[in-house]
This record gives sequence, C-alpha cells and structure tokens, in this order.
Amino acid sequence: MEIIEKIKTNKSDDNLTEIQKICLHKLQSSPLPNPKSELWRLSNKSKLSTFLDYSVNEKDVKFDIPYSKNSQSTIRLIIGENCPIKLIEKNYSIQQLSEDELQKYIKEQISFFKQNENWSDLLNLSLSCKNNILGLKINGSKIPPIEIFSHASSNSLNAKTLVIFLEKNCDVELLQVNLGKENSSLSQSTFFCLKENSSVNHGVVSYGENRSNLLNSLNVIQQKNSAYNLGSLHFKFNYARFEISIKQSAGNAKTNIKGMQITKKDEQISTYTKIEFNGPNGFLDQINKSLADDKSHAIFEGSIIVPKIAQKTDASQLSRNLLLSNLAQIDTKPQLEIIADDVKCKHGATISQLNEEELFYMRTRGITLTEASKLQLSSYFQEIISFIPISKDKWDLLDKLLNEN
Amino acid sequence: MVNENLVKDVVKEPYKYGFVTDIETEKIEKGLNEDVIKLISQKKEEPKFLLDFRLKAFKKWQKMKEPDWAALGYKKIDYQNIIYYSAPKQKEKISSLDEVDPKLLETFDKLGIPLTEQKKLTNVAVDAVFDSVSIATTFREELAEHGVIFCSISEAVKNHADLIEKYLGTVVPASDNYFAALNSAVFSDGSFVYIPKGVTCPMDLSSYFRINSGDSGQFERTLIIAEESSSVSYLEGCTAPMFDTNTLHAAVVELIALDDASIKYSTVQNWYAGDEEGIGGIFNFVTKRGKCLGKRSKISWSQVETGSAITWKYPSCLLLGEESVGEFYSVALTNNLQQADTGTKMIHIGPKTKSTIVSKGISAGNSKNSYRGLVKMGTKATGSRNYSQCDSMLIGDQASANTFPYIKSQQPNSEIEHEASTCRISEDQLFYLQSRGIEFEEAVSMMVSGFCRDVFNQLPMEFAAEADKLLALKLEGSVG
Repeated sequence: MEIIEKIKTNKSDDNLTEIQKICLHKLQSSPLPNPKSELWRLSNKSKLSTFLDYSVNEKDVKFDIPYSKNSQSTIRLIIGENCPIKLIEKNYSIQQLSEDELQKYIKEQISFFKQNENWSDLLNLSLSCKNNILGLKINGSKIPPIEIFSHASSNSLNAKTLVIFLEKNCDVELLQVNLGKENSSLSQSTFFCLKENSSVNHGVVSYGENRSNLLNSLNVIQQKNSAYNLGSLHFKFNYARFEISIKQSAGNAKTNIKGMQITKKDEQISTYTKIEFNGPNGFLDQINKSLADDKSHAIFEGSIIVPKIAQKTDASQLSRNLLLSNLAQIDTKPQLEIIADDVKCKHGATISQLNEEELFYMRTRGITLTEASKLQLSSYFQEIISFIPISKDKWDLLDKLLNEN
Repeated sequence: MVNENLVKDVVKEPYKYGFVTDIETEKIEKGLNEDVIKLISQKKEEPKFLLDFRLKAFKKWQKMKEPDWAALGYKKIDYQNIIYYSAPKQKEKISSLDEVDPKLLETFDKLGIPLTEQKKLTNVAVDAVFDSVSIATTFREELAEHGVIFCSISEAVKNHADLIEKYLGTVVPASDNYFAALNSAVFSDGSFVYIPKGVTCPMDLSSYFRINSGDSGQFERTLIIAEESSSVSYLEGCTAPMFDTNTLHAAVVELIALDDASIKYSTVQNWYAGDEEGIGGIFNFVTKRGKCLGKRSKISWSQVETGSAITWKYPSCLLLGEESVGEFYSVALTNNLQQADTGTKMIHIGPKTKSTIVSKGISAGNSKNSYRGLVKMGTKATGSRNYSQCDSMLIGDQASANTFPYIKSQQPNSEIEHEASTCRISEDQLFYLQSRGIEFEEAVSMMVSGFCRDVFNQLPMEFAAEADKLLALKLEGSVG
C-alpha cells in the first residue's frame, strides 16, 4: 500500500491525470504483485521492496549521455526533456502524438491489462506524469536512426513511458537506452503499435550502476505483414525485470527476438516473454541468453501461445544459459501452449558452463585461460549484440561487457 | 488432403474393460474422519505405528489445500462422498487360488491377466488388486526361493513390519502433497516388493489394479526396495468399469534403490476415461517417486497413459547417490474430453548423476495434454547431466498441447539440455504411405507408433506390444 500512499502524497488528487487515477484505482486492489503467480514467484521480494523504497521523483536532473553522437543524422530524444518534436522531411515525418491520441491509446491498452501480468505497467502509468510520457507517430521511409534515452536519478524512483505508432509501410531503426544511476529505480514502459507492412529494428540496452533497479516492460502489437526485430541487453542492475508482451493481432507477421542478460555479484535479472499469435501464418524466432556469475540469479520465462485461429504458425524459442559460479543460479522455463494443429513449434533450453574442450584447444595454442574464456564469451555475446541496431558501430558494447569481466 | 473426420474416426473405440463384476462387497460408510481411518486400520489388523502414520497424515491433509496449478479443469471433488474401503467378500484366509471367488478370477481372466495356473506359463508374477484389497499374488514360492518378497502391502505390514516401518513414507512423506497425504491416511492395499542383496529378480513382477465399485475411491500404495546390487522389473496395469460418476484414484508409489541396484517400473494406465461428452471417468492423482539412494543405482520409469478423465502424475527421481541414473519415458494419449497434466521431476543432488527424459504427448478430440517437468541441479551435483525431449502431436484443431518445463541449475559444472517440438500428422507422409497401398487408418496408426517408438523400445516386450495395440485402438476413429 505504501507505494500508493507515496504517489498520493506527492500530488493532490486534482493534479493526477485520468490515466493515473485509473491505474491507481486498479493498483489499490492489488498493491503488490501476487508472489504465488508464476510471473513473480522467483522474483526476489526484498529487492522488489528496495525498488519501491525510493521516493517518487517527477523532475529530471540533467544527465550525461554515456557516449557522443558520431553521426549528425541520428535523431536523439530524451524522455522527460519535454521539448516539442516535429520533424517533417521529404521522405518521413516524426511527430508527437496529440494528448487525445495518447489518452485514447493508453486507456485502450489498460482495458486489456491483467493484474499480475501488467503490474509493472500499472505501476508505471500511475507514476508517470504528463512530462514523462513521450508519444510518437513515425511515418515514411529512409528515416535516420532514432535513439531514445530514459534514465533515473540517484536516490529516487523515476517512471518513464514511451508510446510509438509506426504508420503503414514505415521502416525504422530505433534504439532505446535505459540508464540506471547509483541507488535508483527506473520504471520504463513502452507501447509499440506496428501498423500493416511496417518494420522496425528495435534495440533495448539497459545498464545500471551500483545498486540500480529497473522494471522494464515492453508491449508490442503487430498488425498484418509487419516485422518486429528486437535485440536487447540488460546488465549491471541490482534488480531488473524485463517483461515483453508481443501480440500478432491478425497473424501473418514476423517477430525476431534476441535478448541477453548478464548478472554478477548478488544481482537478479529476469526476462519474461509472452508471445501471442492471434491469426494464421505467424512467425517467431527467439533466442534468450543468460550469464550468471558470483552469487547472482538469472531467470528466463517465455511462453508462446498459439490458439486455434493461428494455423500454420512457425515458432521457435531457445534459452541458452551459462552458469559460471558455484553460488550463482539459473532458472529457465520455456513454455508452449498450443491448440492449433497445423503448426510448427519447438523450444529448447540448455544450461552449462564454458566449453572445456574449446578452452583446452585454445590453451594448447598458447592462449591464456583468461583470454580463451574472453574469446568464448565474446562469441557468446556477439550473436546478440550484432542484432542490436545503431549501437554496434558507434558504441562498443562488447568491449564494455568483456572488460568488466 | 487429409480428411479431418476420417482421422477423428480412427481414435474412437469403445472401452472394452468397462464391464462391472457383480460380486458381493463389503463397504464402509461414505465419508472421511478419524473413525473411518481407525476402522480401516482395524479391518486390516495393523500395528500401532501404521495407525499413527495414518492419523498424522490425516491431520496434515485437513490443513492442506487441493492444488490448482495444473492445467486441468474439473468439478470439485467431494471428499465426504467417497467410500474409503471396499473389498470383495470372501473367506477369511486364502491358501491357494482355488479358494478365490471364481467371479473374481473370471474378471481377471476377462482382462487377460494370468492368475490361474494354466496361465502361469507367461512367467510373470502377478499381484491382483480389486478395489481396496489384493486378492491374489502368483508365483510366490518360486520368488521366495530367491529371497524375493512380493506380496500385498497389507500382508507385508503383518509379516515384514520392520521393513515397512523403516521405509514407508521415506520417499513420499505424508506431507508431500494433498493427494499423497490423503493416500497416506486411507491407503487400502497395493504391492510390496523386496529384492535382497545381489539378487536379480528371476521374473517380471506385475500388479494389476481394478476398480469395480462406482462410489469408492482407490488408494493403493506400492513400495519397492532394491537392496545392493539387485535388480527388478515391475509392471503395473489398471482398468475400471464405466460409470457415469467420477471415481477418485489417488495412489502413492515409492521406490528405493541402494548401491548398484536398479528398478524398472512400467505402467500401462487404461482407467475408464469417461464418454465422449466427458461424463464419468477416473480422476487419477498419483504421486510416484523413486529415491536413488545408493551409488550407481538406477531408477527407470516408463509409462503409457491412455485412460482417466483427469491425469495428474509426475513420476520423479531423487538422484542422491553418486553416479546414480534416473530415466523417464512416457507416452500420454488424450482423446475426447480427457485432460492430462503429466511429466517428471529429476532432482540431481549427488555428483555425476545422470537423467534422461523422453516424453511423447498425443492429443486428439477436445482433449488437453500438458507436459510439466522439473530438472534441478543442486549445488553438489558436479558433473551431472540431463537430457530432455518432449514431443507433442496434435490430431484435429480442437485439441491442445502444452509444454511447461522448469529448469533450475545451481551447479556450473553440470549440463542440462531440453528440447521440445509440436507437430501434426504430416500430410505428405500420409500421402506417401497411402500411395503405397496402405490403408488410411493403418497409415495413421503406423505414424503414431513411429512417433512413440523411443518410448515403446523401453517397455518390457509384452507391454510394448500391448501399448502399441492400445494406442491404435484408442486412436481408432479420431484421426482424419
């Protein structure tokens, strides 16, 4: 209940937006997620309570973007900066959604929410004030790459919301960067709506500093013939959850997901994905990798839902995990729920450590053990990192990951 | 183009074990309370430790809640509307099969169970359980020569109380889960097997469970102990008559394997599944667990699940001993409105332990078939390995197949591999077989049998042939 009191004490009822009121009302019936539900069962309760401990902060403190913009053509946006966006060029346009459009869309989404599955979204929307919600409508082609930043300030709980409409036939590369500060909590919810024939290469890179926390939720709706490619990377968080929900509203769409989470010390990072096919001929290729070291805990739970209508669905899901320490833990649970009969669905999961034979081979060739393990890890990371748009040539994530090892 | 209706027609076959034996039975009043438990215990002339075990379990059960996490939907069970003890009336003590009521023998004859002398040639020792009691165990003398004890659990309580007291409830404690607690409180009969040190059991042992009465539940308990360097293969079969009401079956099976021992436990479960509208059928809630206590011990579960309206069953292995091995091979077939939530648990505790899981699910009609499994590597399970494979086959667009594998590792020096796939009967393969002059139904049956081959190969020979036939019969009429 505390969190609700906190939001309320920050503002009087009159200052709350309609959406905040709706979400608060919903949260009141279940102020905390049900720990018995599969989605929250493994979540570390004390870490979640630390997440909620920080005081709610609506104002943004200036922050340094961790790397400089190399190319002039990249479009950079910061959620909460609150400067009007209106870019209309020959081939494309990027405009802010009007207040009405935003309200209407978010309300519609809330009506589909399920208390446990969307608890993070409810929390986000009840915390997010007008300034911290960014709504964009993207149209056209040959759009320069877009980077969107969202960050938390130290010793506070920040909530940022992003809504993106991708109009018909639009094609874009978009990188979302979530930055955690020391002792901070960030709640980030993203709503993506891909109209017919649109396609997006979406990257989500989240990294924190000491004791930073993150609740990151991503809701995607794909209309016919759209293609959604997601590359994600989460690391350096005391506690992080990445919840992905993708709905192919009429089938005939393609989804590719490559995600990775890296945990060290006593961190806990989890990824939950739910992919629903609501029409025929859907396609999914998903791989999720985890690496757990020290005393950390990595969790992956992915469900694929294929109802009767989704004939000829082709879905595959793979969970690959590296467990590097005796005290670390990995939980993985890929699931299939299928009613349609003419489908091809498969999933796989592995948990192991670095391949000893490969290590041995490299060592016989004079490579030291540390270097050999680095080489192996880099090939393990590379598959995911190369799938994240924009970042690959400008910002060497791989280096960052390996040098911190 | 495959004709959907044709395929559907292949899964339909009337349940041929649905007859009721008209025999006088001794039943107690419906309902469950401490007095009922005391009465059961008294009827079975049990020692005090067992009555205490039952009462303790009952107390725990009263505090527990029926689990609801399985992907199953069924109407609430009224536990007070069940008869907890039912036995065919017969002479007090049976010294030979000639004294068994001929009607009972006839029943088992109809089921094809070799109880009578002329059928003993098959070289399988059988313990036949009818409702709540064991009515006959064959080949006892031959087994006794090798020191093997094979009898009903009630007899074991009288004659080998020390073993029962030592091992009962050590693998599946009374508080393990709701249905195990219920079973511990009211279990009526079941089989007991003890294989002494160094003995390889000279023949396959088999139990046959038959529910005859419509309003009594069946709660059998099986305990198998394999001493050092011994080995045994145990088969279990089950049928029940057709009733419009649902009958509860909550069994517990405990296996214990000491150093270098091996136990192979095979089940062909063909309880009555209810009719096409889902009326009647057995609610099958079973807790089966084996403990690989000794070094290099091995427990292997193989099961063919074709019956029951509801199946809730997860035969598991606790791999404690160094280099111990757990195996699980399963075929689960659901049709009409059947629901099955079944799988296994492989808990790796000791070092260098290995486990293999092969699960094949076939869902037809409006049925629901879920695989739910857990593989866990504990902190001490260095050098352990697991391999799991779960395949589902869907027949018709109304059936559903789910896969829920839980995988947890706390040991970096161990490997877990899991794979699962879902498919349908391929039209190309059907077309190919048909173009070679093979009848449609036979082609489907061949493909289903091929799909299950990995599991059937693990079954004892007589069972494998039976399972193949059973599957073909069950599928008759539903593939199209």
